[in-house]
Amino acid sequence: MKSRFVKLTTAVSLAALPTLASAQDLVVLDWSGYEDPGFIGEYIEKHGSPPNYSFFGEEEEAFQKLRAGFKVDVAHPCSQSVLKWQMAGLIEPLDPSRIDRWEDVNEIKESFKIDGEYYMLPTDWGTTSLIYRTDLVDASKMDSLQVFTDPAYAGRVSLPNNVDDVYALAFLATGVTDWTNATQEQFEAASAWLRKVHPNVVTYWADGAELAQLLTTGEAAIAWGWNETPTTLAGEGVAVASNREAAEGSSSWFCGYVNVADGPNSEDAMYDFFNAWMDPASAEYIVEAWGYGNGNQAAMKALGGDVLDGVGLGPVSAPVLAQSPLDNRLREQMISEFENIKVGF
Amino acid sequence: MSRRMPFDADTRRGLSQISLPFAFSILLLAAPLALLLAMSFWTQDFLTLDRTPTIANFVEVWNSPIYRTLMLRSLKISLIVTFLTVSLAYPAAYYMSFVAPDNRKALLVFLITIPFWTSYLMRIFLWKVILGYNGVLNESLMGIGLIREPLDFILYNQFAVALTLSHAWLPFAVLPIFVVMEKVNRSYLEAAQDLGDTPFQRFRRITLPLSMPGVVAATLIVFIPTIGDYVTPKLVGGSSGLMIANMIEVQFKNANNAPLGATLALMALLLVSSVAGLFVWINRRYLKEEGAA
Repeated sequence: MKSRFVKLTTAVSLAALPTLASAQDLVVLDWSGYEDPGFIGEYIEKHGSPPNYSFFGEEEEAFQKLRAGFKVDVAHPCSQSVLKWQMAGLIEPLDPSRIDRWEDVNEIKESFKIDGEYYMLPTDWGTTSLIYRTDLVDASKMDSLQVFTDPAYAGRVSLPNNVDDVYALAFLATGVTDWTNATQEQFEAASAWLRKVHPNVVTYWADGAELAQLLTTGEAAIAWGWNETPTTLAGEGVAVASNREAAEGSSSWFCGYVNVADGPNSEDAMYDFFNAWMDPASAEYIVEAWGYGNGNQAAMKALGGDVLDGVGLGPVSAPVLAQSPLDNRLREQMISEFENIKVGF
Repeated sequence: MSRRMPFDADTRRGLSQISLPFAFSILLLAAPLALLLAMSFWTQDFLTLDRTPTIANFVEVWNSPIYRTLMLRSLKISLIVTFLTVSLAYPAAYYMSFVAPDNRKALLVFLITIPFWTSYLMRIFLWKVILGYNGVLNESLMGIGLIREPLDFILYNQFAVALTLSHAWLPFAVLPIFVVMEKVNRSYLEAAQDLGDTPFQRFRRITLPLSMPGVVAATLIVFIPTIGDYVTPKLVGGSSGLMIANMIEVQFKNANNAPLGATLALMALLLVSSVAGLFVWINRRYLKEEGAA
């Protein structure tokens, strides 16, 4: 029954795939927007053209697509998904000896080591913090994450529709800065805090563009969002600021590329793609054009503290909750609880 | 002498003609539905699908208030949308059929289809622009001095969902009513007038009952798809406007619980069919009373 179902879905997805059919081209399942050639200049130079992309809007979409038999060489999940994808048998280990600058790769790579093998090349990272409209709120109050519960901002708050970012906020606000050892009580306290914020929320933003729009119109005056948004909006003259040093802290996230099992093409192209990402020129580009960090920590360091502070990636004195991989049981609980909270339960 | 065939030529031709549509309905309707039904009796624990049949999903759907709330909310929004569209569509169709001159009818039908020239997604985004905090509506109201602060209760809620859906489905409601009205025999109306009916009596006793099949068709055409609408609540519903289809998506994707998603889909299907059945039944009774059926 199952194999027949898989064959059927594969047949259907193959039929829908004429654009990806040209042989020997790397197929990348990526977040929409990441087809930016600036990230992989070296790869394009060597191969003459960018790889073929297929896009997803959220990781679960990518996960279910791969499980249904969609064939790609490389995919781009974030830290939370690696263990789950590995358990589902979707990804294979990487060979560090084929990544030229492996020594320079951010030490977070150790978090994606399962049974002694590396499963993800961390390529891009950023921070999630308190963002506000300086002209619409009292800036002196923006030094604590408890502003999200302030009834004065009812209907003017926007939180991410992303379980990891939202729980990073809730854990920080309830005093947990390392969620890898969070207890059941701490999880429940964090959920209770989100329930308290929910009545203030106008909408849960789905992507950076939506958040930027909410902040620009002033519909949302306070938000929990990625550092890219205030950087871009301030550049456009919107009165937006972020505070990564709120008393309770801020969060950081990591995403990267994984080697999808049974990829249709040779792994040489895949390692070219990985090496292009780790090129210092790519690091400079992602910081300047996107405000995100690159997984090559030596190249990031070389950019200098001023550049990093300018885009909200520099070191801070307040606590930082790193969105490290966490126990799947806890994460499943977070997912179902977040859905309940969003509907008002 | 040819060898014996199990069927004669006519039967064979009939079978060959029906086989393609039959295969289509099996493959595209019956098979997915059967899969959905089978899946609703399975369970999933994280990544493992357990195929032991159980009614645990149905018990969970029945017992947890969240699914009931979403189901009833979808029903409510859909009924409001249906009521709005059909009551706005009826006068429009009436005008097109009974008032407008014959040589204008084609033009009017053409005009009704204009909203379809833009993709539905675009129309949703336009509603976001109109209803937004600094949107067209708020700016205009502030411009003429009716309000000082922008209204913030017009986007990201159930109202916005109902409004966007009503706008989108209005043309679908006009067309079936118009088609049925076109078939109303005009000599009945003349006869009623000759026998002394006032225009209102004439409408109530002839036009309304005879156009009722169109109204029922419009009701079903609007009600059935809107109750399961997914993209509208996702984009303009905020968190208070989420509907059952959004929860079905969550079960299949984020929650890794396809069996529960299948159960919810099945329950939604059941809800739609029973309400649609109710509409048809009420209409039958009405027509019987009017003596038209």
